[in-house]
Amino acid sequence: MSAMDPTEVFRQEASELFEVLEGALLDLGQRPDDRELVDSAFRALHTIKGSGAMFGFDKVASFTHEFETAFDRVRKGEIKPTQELISVALAAKDYIRALIEDPQSTDDIIGEAILDDLKRFVSADRSDAPVVEIAEAASLAPAGSKQAGWHLYLEFESHILRNGSNPLDLLEDLCKLGPCFVVPVTDGVPFLDEMEPEDCYLKWDVKLHAACDKDAIDDVFMFVQDELKLTLSPLEHVEPPAPAPLFQLLDEEPGPMAETPVPPVELPAAPVADQPVAKSEPKSEPRPEPKPEAKREERGIATVRVQAERLDELMDRVGELVIAQARLTQLAASGSDLSIKMIAEEIERLASSLRDTTIGARMVPIGSLFGRFRRLVHDLSRDLSKPVEFVTTGEDTELDKTMIECLADPLVHLIRNAIDHGIEDTATRAANGKAEQGRIELAAVHSGAQVLVTVKDNGGGLNTARIRAKAEEQGLIAAGAVLTDHEIHQFLFHPGFSTAQTISALSGRGVGMDVVKRTIENMRGTIDLSTRPGQGTTVTLRLPLTLAIIEGLLIRVGEGRYIIPLSAVEECVELTAEDERSRGRNFLNVRGNLVPFLRLREIMSSSGSPDKHQKTIIISTGESRVGLVADQIIGNHQTVIKSLSKLHSDVTIFSGATILGDGTAALILDVAQLVSLAQSKVEKQHINEAA
Amino acid sequence: MATILTVDDSPSIRQMIKVVLEPAGHNVIEAGDGAQGLAKAQAGKLDLVITDLNMPVMNGLELIRALRKLPSAVGMPIVFLTTESNDTVKQEAKSAGATGWITKPFKPEQLLAVVGKLVRT
Repeated sequence: MSAMDPTEVFRQEASELFEVLEGALLDLGQRPDDRELVDSAFRALHTIKGSGAMFGFDKVASFTHEFETAFDRVRKGEIKPTQELISVALAAKDYIRALIEDPQSTDDIIGEAILDDLKRFVSADRSDAPVVEIAEAASLAPAGSKQAGWHLYLEFESHILRNGSNPLDLLEDLCKLGPCFVVPVTDGVPFLDEMEPEDCYLKWDVKLHAACDKDAIDDVFMFVQDELKLTLSPLEHVEPPAPAPLFQLLDEEPGPMAETPVPPVELPAAPVADQPVAKSEPKSEPRPEPKPEAKREERGIATVRVQAERLDELMDRVGELVIAQARLTQLAASGSDLSIKMIAEEIERLASSLRDTTIGARMVPIGSLFGRFRRLVHDLSRDLSKPVEFVTTGEDTELDKTMIECLADPLVHLIRNAIDHGIEDTATRAANGKAEQGRIELAAVHSGAQVLVTVKDNGGGLNTARIRAKAEEQGLIAAGAVLTDHEIHQFLFHPGFSTAQTISALSGRGVGMDVVKRTIENMRGTIDLSTRPGQGTTVTLRLPLTLAIIEGLLIRVGEGRYIIPLSAVEECVELTAEDERSRGRNFLNVRGNLVPFLRLREIMSSSGSPDKHQKTIIISTGESRVGLVADQIIGNHQTVIKSLSKLHSDVTIFSGATILGDGTAALILDVAQLVSLAQSKVEKQHINEAA
Repeated sequence: MATILTVDDSPSIRQMIKVVLEPAGHNVIEAGDGAQGLAKAQAGKLDLVITDLNMPVMNGLELIRALRKLPSAVGMPIVFLTTESNDTVKQEAKSAGATGWITKPFKPEQLLAVVGKLVRT
């Protein structure tokens, strides 16, 4: 960590600050009176400026300074943050970002134009504002006098010790300038019973035998200028008789005093310096500090930045470890060596907790993604002249970071759709008695081992008739076919299906919902639509928590072994003789509920005779439940998911494969596909029965 | 070796301070805001605190005031970082109990000079 380049840390940090700044600016558009937002924007600007200057981004510092100056009037509440001002401020933010990330691409003229705009909005030209000031070095006019030295009389304010300044240290620094003759003046020291132990009563009379600048002396006392009454006079006349010095401090040989720092002074001063600690100790008892809370906080903040690739690598290694561990477990189980069995169990336990820890480390709050869409909604709503309120909830919901990256594009598409097609124009809304401002809600919530992400608008809802007409026109369904609304809506996911009457710059370009659907399914997620005419549309994405390793249930069907994601498994029951007898109907009676079931032996076309006692695994996706009939349930298996080759991409009932302990492969069943397969079978059966 | 706490919401500033002070033989610990800084000060003895003023949760002035109430921090020097060269901020921080200040941007030598002034090993 300490080897990390601070400039690189600054870049990363700056990009986070830009998110904060942008978020605050956008919010400010909605709540112009929120002081907290102004402060947070200001704080971000201030840090960018301060750190920028530290790491050599001079342009960033000077531009941000101007930006800050302009913005200062907003902070003081002198002017309101108007939409125009916020748009310019956003442009300024983008410009600063470019200055840091890609300085070649920027042009000073753009910066000046933005600043001009900013200044125009705050109507106060402050071109005289200084470019970041350089810390004051002691470079004032040298006090030319070339005298023999200085005579100083130091009178500190009595509370000097309380601020952490130590007069002894200052005297020591003074001695570094040249040979010093230091005499403490004790006439201000009160009697012991009147003495306040935290106060400083001593004064010092110092003769400095060095022809140094006055600035050098000021430099020594720079932090205590206000607490020190310093009488300074050139030392040129004859050595005055020291007023009965208590201690002789001067090293008679002129030489660097730094090596021999005035020890005797410590004698009278020591009680003053030490006592405060002794006395204030009991003070702590009346106000005990909340120790446990402080500790908890400390634990919470210890974060380390790690490159994303390293986490990916770690996940890969853990995957390999889990596979190797499975082999070890198998080997141990087949032998009779008890000690190897114990080690195998221990390693299994460790591998499993290592896997959980690694998955946890890869989890990122989805809020980082949501933040990006605020700008999108802001820009779209402006371009389309549809005022839209954007609400996000569940920003803390955590997802695997790879998933978050994969989610960005689909969500952009869904939000665009919601604003472009979902939200009606202002006139239509008004005509339908709805608020002029539309509303888009983006929400994330945990649901079991899945995360639900929903994009909800309060627009006009889907036009089922138009979708149907389009589907008929494209020959996807026969005219007059009986379909539920839900089925009709599924055509939206069909490649090349767009009902947008005009192709706008934003949507209707053909790259559509089918791509969204495919992306989500590649993440082993599902997408669903629900709509209510006149009230809006909700798109729900169900996503697994992680992409790389899942808990699976290993089963055997004939000779083959398969994995069912454990998150989908509800329960396992034995297929009773009664269920067997219901052959042909394919329904299972689970505590009074009828559940359709699939015989995996039939689906996999397994050879050989089935086991005598068939097992049924009840799986569920959302609302639907389906039973899968297998020969044997082997048990839990930590499943490292390997994707199938492109050649197998049309085998829909498998979502991937994994390697078992003995080195053979097992296929992972795609639960969503199996459920819909079962449902279509049920429907066929209904149709057959009806016929 | 002195133990120095740097309190700043900017990781790059903390990193910079660390990079400068650690080779000089100091033990540098970090905190991202005033509240965390206070917790660290309560957790162990410090020789110097270098704090930013403008921070979320608990700003630098609040931190300085709170530190000055800690028995373990009596006589402990506290330095604040400021981009302002105006005296109002300095006065305010001084009266809160700060010992000194460093003006941003600063060079490593300036930081070392101030630390050298306030930390005796």
